[in-house]
Amino acid sequence: MEFYTYVNIFETKGLEYLLLLSFLVLFILLVRYLSDPGRKNAAPAEKRSTTADQGRWSSVEAVKRKPG
Amino acid sequence: MNTTAVVTSELNRVIRFVWEELKPRGKWLTPFNIISIPIILIGLVILFFRFVYGIGSVTNLNQYYPLGIWVGFDVVTGVALAGGAYVITFVVYVMRIEKYHSIVRVTVLNGLLAYIFYAGALTLDLGRPWHIVNPIIGNSFGYNSVLFLVSWHFLLYMITMAVEFSPVVAEWAKLEKARKFLTALTLGAVIFGITLSILHQSGLGALFLMAKPKIHPLWYSEFIPVMFFVSSIFAGLSMIIFEGTISHKVFKDLLGGHDHHQYEEILLGLAKGAAITMFVYYFFQALLFIHEKRWELITGFWGYWYLLEIIGLVLIPCFMYAYAVRNRNLAIIKVASVLTLLGIILNRLNVTVIAYRWYDLDKYYPSWQEVVVTLMVVFTEIWVFRWIVTRMPVLAKRQ
Repeated sequence: MEFYTYVNIFETKGLEYLLLLSFLVLFILLVRYLSDPGRKNAAPAEKRSTTADQGRWSSVEAVKRKPG
Repeated sequence: MNTTAVVTSELNRVIRFVWEELKPRGKWLTPFNIISIPIILIGLVILFFRFVYGIGSVTNLNQYYPLGIWVGFDVVTGVALAGGAYVITFVVYVMRIEKYHSIVRVTVLNGLLAYIFYAGALTLDLGRPWHIVNPIIGNSFGYNSVLFLVSWHFLLYMITMAVEFSPVVAEWAKLEKARKFLTALTLGAVIFGITLSILHQSGLGALFLMAKPKIHPLWYSEFIPVMFFVSSIFAGLSMIIFEGTISHKVFKDLLGGHDHHQYEEILLGLAKGAAITMFVYYFFQALLFIHEKRWELITGFWGYWYLLEIIGLVLIPCFMYAYAVRNRNLAIIKVASVLTLLGIILNRLNVTVIAYRWYDLDKYYPSWQEVVVTLMVVFTEIWVFRWIVTRMPVLAKRQ
């Protein structure tokens, strides 16, 4: 066994850059994946809007108009 | 005179109280006791022979294999598994994430006992154990050795964790003034402890830097210290999950309903932390794999053994943790924690024992006495842990 080995640091540099870039992308995806609420814990999906609802898209339900 | 009388009476009260607490409680004939008591007794006999007739009388260690499972498992692996203490104290006291406050005491206790027993087991492995004090008292400091750093850090970190845990002891002994004083020391002790931990977790890896020709190149790299430190984070988190799962069943009477409710959220948070650190660790390994062109070594037994460790016991548990967090599945988290712990044990044993002098035909295998003493150390720690948890306000209910 030889004690000293000389490593050419430029030989694998391209692959290392690619690995680093893929790590950064995958790390973001992992954190987003973990940050989303779990399926079982997720709030029930809102009722899908119907065509009739879409027709009233501009209505503001919270606003109470004064009668008369 | 009056003050002396008060102090004497208080001292007598504490002694009587401790004496009462030392008496055994509960059933004696439990499966754990039936298995552990004979092993502890046999281990004590083996240790008697070890100290009277020398280390060679009970171990298979020799000049070529100076580190056996007493160092490989007890010290190097045990310290990594105790990493949960510095991670959780950092999260609670520095980052102020109160969600994990209820597990601080039990985690610190685990860490303290792990260091006392596993790092203490280093004494068994020294040919001349009375020299263990040399780096401390200055008889032979050995500044140039990584062991100098490791030995000082072990000592200081054990004191630090004892300070972190001391308010619990004061609360148990009903020493209110002492408890307030010791609680005030906690934050300083935590910061000091985190610094020490980062350094000696990596320091344990640095011990093997000088063994380059002896460790298989798939496990040796100049970055062993970094890898040891990063892996100690998820090792500690997985150990908390594993230990917490057992404690939750064994000591459920000591836990209130509130803790049962919190338990799920805590496990999910720990699993999330473990998944992220394992992912980082895996990419460090991948970077080393490319940088050192390890694909040339990946064939044959050692290559497959390496892949088992890195893919089977790092990458797969990482995905299991992530999937379990996403789907709030505690069962998968528990399985992933076991796989992760196996991975850490395998990694540390690979570096210290299995892939050490991998080219030798006449390999080291631990003797049965070494295995029994290792089990004795683990069982004794569990006994002490159980005694403390059932008497002191360690679990959340009494806080």
